Amino acid sequence: MDVLEEITIILAEILDMEGLEITPETYLIRELGAESIDLLELSVAINSRFNIEVNDDELFLRTLRIHLRAAEMEGRDAAGYLAEKYPVLTVSRVGEILADMGGGPVLRMKDIISYITCYGKN
Amino acid sequence: MILNFQGKKALVLGGSCDLALTLAAAMTAAGIFPLLTFRSEEGREKIDARLSPLGGKYDAAYLNFGDRDSLASLLSRWGGEIDFVVDFAQGDFEGYIAAADEGRVYQYFNDNVSFRAELLKKIARIMLKRGKGRFVFISSVAAGRANPGQGFYAAAKLAAEALYRNLGLELGRKGITAVTLRPGYIRAGRGEAYLEAHGEEALRLVPTGRFLTEGEVAETILFLLSESAAGFNATELTMDGGLTAGK
Repeated sequence: MDVLEEITIILAEILDMEGLEITPETYLIRELGAESIDLLELSVAINSRFNIEVNDDELFLRTLRIHLRAAEMEGRDAAGYLAEKYPVLTVSRVGEILADMGGGPVLRMKDIISYITCYGKN
Repeated sequence: MILNFQGKKALVLGGSCDLALTLAAAMTAAGIFPLLTFRSEEGREKIDARLSPLGGKYDAAYLNFGDRDSLASLLSRWGGEIDFVVDFAQGDFEGYIAAADEGRVYQYFNDNVSFRAELLKKIARIMLKRGKGRFVFISSVAAGRANPGQGFYAAAKLAAEALYRNLGLELGRKGITAVTLRPGYIRAGRGEAYLEAHGEEALRLVPTGRFLTEGEVAETILFLLSESAAGFNATELTMDGGLTAGK
């Protein structure tokens, strides 16, 4: 079973949504309606299943806007700054996120998968 | 009333205080296995002296509020097994606000508030995996009624109450609840010395005309851990014989 399938099963249980269809492009908050408590449960489940010490702020991109403000204050390039703060994200994903922020929370399934792939021990 | 505790494990923070030891004895009688924390050898000896005659149905481990390594070590030992948390832990700090040493102030809040928040986060996440858990925080009527020299104590207690209240608010629908108990005068622990000196004066302020006993507070805590008390969530209960109701 790959990471996407495993997370889909975990999320279906947390969100109580049977037959949940998820792709790497699915937005967790915008589309699935995941709330803070659901994300907390997801984080606990990822910690347990993949043996990862999860940093919730990093996993769920919670501090994006704080980092963007900091980059602006320091006169830094936003994309470069975010790539430093989120080593899990590729340069192209950072660009995508910056272009997408006007539409609401940007967190997608592929960000969760990247995190697990990067930090997972098995 | 549902008081079935068989097979449950309770982490008792500040486990060497008199009240915690009375509670631990009541827990073992009720089928709960208490895991008591201590922060000094003296504390450990006190726990063993009181509980080992009861047949070794308990465990004890070092935990010093403010020492993050001691928390990591505690959780690696007991982490997966905690059903209940009863929190008696509280550092001493008496003094006027205008006279306090600043370094001690920072340290006190680090140990009693920030460290407690880390501990609650970690235990709550363990409980979330199991979908159940119950916290009982032992505060004091001093949290709600100001006394000269007790400002830091009250501030730390109120901050801790707020952490527990939010825990119950945030995780209640996931099966994890929290309640705070504010006892009044008890003839035990810190209260003992105070009541020795001011007993008569204090007694006049208590409408029931008596101080609380350790036994009745321990029984109340056991009740608060029971299924029957699960409705008490994200709130504070005062148990003081009416002390704080009057002026």
